[in-house]
Amino acid sequence: MKLTRRKTRAEVPSMAMGDIAFNLLIFFVILARASDDSHLQWTPAKVSNLKNAGNATVSVLIDKDSKLYLNGQQVGIAELANLIEVELGDAPQGKRTVLVKIHSDTLAQRFEPVIEAISEAGGDLVHIVEEEQE
Amino acid sequence: MRRRRRKVLVEPPAHATGDIAFNLIVFFLVCASVQPDSGRPQTLPSSETVEEDKQTENIEVAISRSAVIVNGDVTAKNQLLSRLKPLLAGKSTPEDKVVVVKSDSDTPYAQWIFVTSIIDDAGGTVTLKLEEEREVIIPD
Repeated sequence: MKLTRRKTRAEVPSMAMGDIAFNLLIFFVILARASDDSHLQWTPAKVSNLKNAGNATVSVLIDKDSKLYLNGQQVGIAELANLIEVELGDAPQGKRTVLVKIHSDTLAQRFEPVIEAISEAGGDLVHIVEEEQE
Repeated sequence: MRRRRRKVLVEPPAHATGDIAFNLIVFFLVCASVQPDSGRPQTLPSSETVEEDKQTENIEVAISRSAVIVNGDVTAKNQLLSRLKPLLAGKSTPEDKVVVVKSDSDTPYAQWIFVTSIIDDAGGTVTLKLEEEREVIIPD
C-alpha cells in the first residue's frame, strides 16, 4: 500500500501585509534621508523672477551655522570642487546642474569660495531662493 | 415615558490600521516629492575667459552690507536696474556684458543675490572678483 505524504500549506499571513509594507517603507525613507538635505536648517533669500530648477544630482547647502554640506554630508571648502567633479562625472552640458542653497544671512567670505568651487568644478549654478512677494 | 435610542458603536477594523498608515505615508511622500524647487540659474564665466585688459572696460559693481556702488557711484537698490540697463545697452559681445562684482567680506547672501539677479535681469553676466590668498614662505 502506498502512503501519501500529507502536504502542509505554508502561507504568508495576509493580515500582516500592511505592517510589512509599512516597515519596508520606513526603512527606505530612512535610507533616502541619509543623502538628503531636507533635515538641515536654513532660510532662503527672497528674489523675484524665479524659474524651475529642474532635476539635479548635486546639492550644496550652507546652513544657519555656516556649515557646508554636499548632498546632505558635511564637507570642507578645500575638498568641495573635487567632490563635485566626482559627483558630476562626465555629464554633458545642461545636465551639470548644482543646486545652491545658502542661508540668507551667510556672509560673502563664506559663500563666495563655495560659488567659486562649483564654477571651478564645471557645475551649472542654480540658486534656490524664494519668490519675493510684492 | 421617554424611550432611549440605542447607540451603535462603530469602530474601524483594527486589522486595517497598518494599511491605513501605509496609504497615508504614500500620500504624503508623493505630495512632498511633487513640489519642485524654484530658483535662479547663474552663469559664471571661468577666470580664463575674462582677459585682464578687458576688465578695465567692464562695469564694476561693489556690494557692501548697506550700499551698492556702480562704477564708483552709490546707487539705491530700487534704481539699480534703471542704472545698469543703459550701461549695458550699448554692449553687444558677451565679453563686454561682463559685470565685475566685488563684495565686502561682511555682505550677506540676501543682499548679494538681490544685486546679482538684477544684473542678470539687466542683461549682464556676473563675474566675481575675489581676493586671492597667497601663502608666503619666508626662508630661514
